[in-house]
Amino acid sequence: MLIQTLQLEKEVTTQEGILHILEPIELAIEAGQTVAIVGASGSGKSTLLSLLAGLDIASRGEVVIDGVALSQLDEEQRARLRAEKIGFIFQSFLLIPSLTALENVMLPAELAGQKNAEQQARELLVKVGLGERLTHYPNQLSGGEQQRVAIARAFIGTPKILFADEPTGNLDAATGRKVEDLLFAMNQESGTTLVMVTHDLQLAQRCQRILRMEVGRLTEVTADVA
Amino acid sequence: MWHKISWRLLRQELKRGELTIMAAAIVLSVTAVLSLSLFTERLQAGLLSRSAEFLAADRVLSARQPIPTEWLEQAEQFDLTTAQRVVFNSMAFANEQLALIDVKAVSEGYPLRGELRLAEEPYGAEISVNDVLPNPGEAWAASALFQELGLKIGDTLEVGHSEFVVSRVLTYEPDIGFAVFTDSPNVLIRYDELAQTGLIQPGSRVRYHILYAGSEAQLNAYYEWLAPQLSDDLHSWRSIADGDSPLARSLQRAERFMLLASLLGVVLAATAVAVAAQRYCQRNYDVVAIIKTLGAGRRQIQQIFILHLLLLTFFSIAVGLLLGWLIQAQVIDWVARQLGTSLPTVTGRPYLLAAGTGFISALMFTLYPLLRLIQIPPLRVLNRQLTGTDRWRWLHWLASAGAIYALLVFYSQHWLLSTAIFAGGALAAGVLLFVSQLFIRVSRQAGMQAGSAWRLAMAGLQRRARSNRVQMLSFSTAIMLLLLVLALRHELLADWQRQLPADAPNYFVVNIAPTDVERLQQEFAQRDIEAADLYPVVPGRMTAVNGVPVRDEVTKEARGDEADVSAHNEEQREGFGRELSLTWRDTLPPNNRLVRGQWWEPGTTTAQVSVEAEVAERMNLQVGDELEFNIGGNVFQLPITSIREVNWGSLQPNFFMIFNTAALEDFPATFITSFNLPEPRKSELFELFKHFPQVSLIDLDALIEQLREVIDQVSVAIGFVLVLVLLAGILVLLAQVQATLEERQQELVILRTLGASSKLLNRSITYEFLILGAISGVIAALAMELVLWILQVQVFDMTPSLHWRFWLIGPISGAVVVAVLGRLACFRLVRRNAAELIRKLA
Repeated sequence: MLIQTLQLEKEVTTQEGILHILEPIELAIEAGQTVAIVGASGSGKSTLLSLLAGLDIASRGEVVIDGVALSQLDEEQRARLRAEKIGFIFQSFLLIPSLTALENVMLPAELAGQKNAEQQARELLVKVGLGERLTHYPNQLSGGEQQRVAIARAFIGTPKILFADEPTGNLDAATGRKVEDLLFAMNQESGTTLVMVTHDLQLAQRCQRILRMEVGRLTEVTADVA
Repeated sequence: MWHKISWRLLRQELKRGELTIMAAAIVLSVTAVLSLSLFTERLQAGLLSRSAEFLAADRVLSARQPIPTEWLEQAEQFDLTTAQRVVFNSMAFANEQLALIDVKAVSEGYPLRGELRLAEEPYGAEISVNDVLPNPGEAWAASALFQELGLKIGDTLEVGHSEFVVSRVLTYEPDIGFAVFTDSPNVLIRYDELAQTGLIQPGSRVRYHILYAGSEAQLNAYYEWLAPQLSDDLHSWRSIADGDSPLARSLQRAERFMLLASLLGVVLAATAVAVAAQRYCQRNYDVVAIIKTLGAGRRQIQQIFILHLLLLTFFSIAVGLLLGWLIQAQVIDWVARQLGTSLPTVTGRPYLLAAGTGFISALMFTLYPLLRLIQIPPLRVLNRQLTGTDRWRWLHWLASAGAIYALLVFYSQHWLLSTAIFAGGALAAGVLLFVSQLFIRVSRQAGMQAGSAWRLAMAGLQRRARSNRVQMLSFSTAIMLLLLVLALRHELLADWQRQLPADAPNYFVVNIAPTDVERLQQEFAQRDIEAADLYPVVPGRMTAVNGVPVRDEVTKEARGDEADVSAHNEEQREGFGRELSLTWRDTLPPNNRLVRGQWWEPGTTTAQVSVEAEVAERMNLQVGDELEFNIGGNVFQLPITSIREVNWGSLQPNFFMIFNTAALEDFPATFITSFNLPEPRKSELFELFKHFPQVSLIDLDALIEQLREVIDQVSVAIGFVLVLVLLAGILVLLAQVQATLEERQQELVILRTLGASSKLLNRSITYEFLILGAISGVIAALAMELVLWILQVQVFDMTPSLHWRFWLIGPISGAVVVAVLGRLACFRLVRRNAAELIRKLA
């Protein structure tokens, strides 16, 4: 099991009292699986994603990534884990505006201390069709191009897991489809485990499993949707 | 790897202009400090060297016994130019009359600084001579001696065993000083003819001097060698800055002003860095969150951003140093031309100071923002509201305050002044924060009744209350410091002008016999010469305080009633049991201010005395103490009933001790007065004083002229300092406006999308800045008044005053400048259409 949660809960304290964002969640994802988490806004999908990726800490319960319990790790160790095993794609691309496409893609590999970061980044950018735009800055690229840079960045260093948060949410339909195709093609090629949060049912259906999040409760709906 | 990322971030951000404000703030702080300190140091060096004329040298060593020749030889080893001067009193005989004279025997090279001026007849037209001494067997004598002894050019003057032919009239000696009571006419002879006079005997009251000229470094090196051999009792080492002459006072005051203005400039520039640093870090919140998400540990983030900041700091310091050097080179050139002199070059200290300022401000002000930046949680990639922990905010205040204090001390090397300014500043900042909060709240209420643009502006003010409070604090600080420098400059110049009005007395008349008083007054009236009050002078000793005899204390105070840098007065100060010049008077003299006790009613019969404040402080004299005086063998006691501050800078007769009339009027007295006679009427003097042979006339024209020259130079310098402080102030305002741009951008998107016209947006922005500026201006004027009052009283020895016009200038200029800057900064933002703005925000 590559990703596993054990009675994972998240709550926050507000002025009105304690708010349960995630009810106890049991989830197991095999290596190589593609999983979509769907649900309405505010249902808790992004919170689940942040807990799975070690960006946030659970109130109770456990997340186990590749045999490592995240609650046992401090922030530094979680960062190291992300550097080694996890790639990210975000709705708003989250490229660093002052770095070129190439430098953005190189960044995770460099942070992980890999030697051939530039070589890998070039190849990936060529693969996503941006071989000619290596030295362009994010603001010189269209939304679709920026997301392709983000995809290239996500795959550098061959992570075991890829977390995607609404990867096509900021793109028009046509561009969105192209980006989807690219994402799934690359994912298939590298055999990465993909966990994707999306509103888009059509996109979700391209995943092997679909999970629905409703008011903090997670249910498997793969069969229903299929 | 991290250093590559760091370098890459910096390179691109610099190229893309994203670090402009931060870099500009550091550049400006470095530029300002460098050009200010280079300029002030060079100017001070220039002023000092010009003022050295008053010593006739750069340094003077005085001794009460002959100075070992080895010391003179050693000076040559240090490449110093030297001359010898020996001064003593003697009687001179000519035309069967005797007169007390001051003999000055000088060696080749005298004067090392400044020049001698001579005339062919008493009070006649002057010619300047340099490096020339009387021929052997000749002497040059002051006009007063010609008058006293009825001398003519070519007459013989007997001094001791020698006879000298008086060949010229000595009209000006640079080192004549300003000694009114003790001055006998001067006679200048050659040093190598001194021995023949036979006047130098063991026990004679003689002052020996070596005059030195050379570079500061040479002089300091020599002094280091010399110092261990000097004895406090026998020797004194002087430079012009040590003196308490009107000139030295003006210089010290100017120096303090420049120091203070530069300090304020430094604080302003540092404030700009602080504002920019905060923004620099905020701009990087997202970058840190992304990098952390991608797997960077805290240590890597630290390394990346500390290096990033260091690189930025280095780069900006380098640019700042270059710019500062260029500016001061241009300005120095211009000023030198204005002053018609060349300004000497200085040490590397200003460069060190400037680079240090850049470092301290960049590092200390970014400490907290950087700490916060490093703390940004990776989760920010999903939730933009997360800005990390705020619990280290106290550290920010500590580091910023520490930085400002460190800069103050670093720059001024003056603990007390730095602490005073710092404490005052901290107090003012606290009050400012409170007051600005209050203003914002009140203006919000007022705004609710106003039109839509106003309402929007007020709402904006209120919404950003927290950032506005800080913004207002820096606006107020900037405006306050600018007003302060402006007001101080005005006060300082006005004070000098008051001290040296066009009709400042340029002659002192001393030794007027009581029987001559009326006749002299008639002469003055006939010739339409306006003289100051006549003061009686009674020589006397102060012998005891509250029954305890004084010895040394008296002699120290018996320093000649007018401050002086001349050789004569050095002797007076150190002399033993010297007489004071005492006077009596019914009313408090002009230029005197009562600080304690009460002035007596005219006609009071109980004997009492008023003491000058500095003397009182040094001798620890209080109102009510009984002083004992001995006047011509008559010993009597009387109480101190008041203590006065005296403006020694005023060219008026001034006294340490003033008695009420009943206490002194029965003692024999002579009288003293001062008057102004314009240059063209100078020739009348001989005629005027012909009938008063025992009266001595002291010419102050040369002194006044030099004083004016120095004041002119300092005024130019102050103007330059003002411009730099102004620039620093504008940068603070700009940095502050820039800092809120991003926040405004978001708001503009919403308003624009909702259909607000650019006219409305423009107006609301203008109004918001207008209000901010005006409120800051009011607060600034208030704070400035308070600070100025403290400075005038504590630092500049000036009479404090209110500055009403700044109460108007503050708010108006604040409102206009802040509104213009704000409008300019937001100009592009308002012109963008909504879609563009939304895209940019995304």
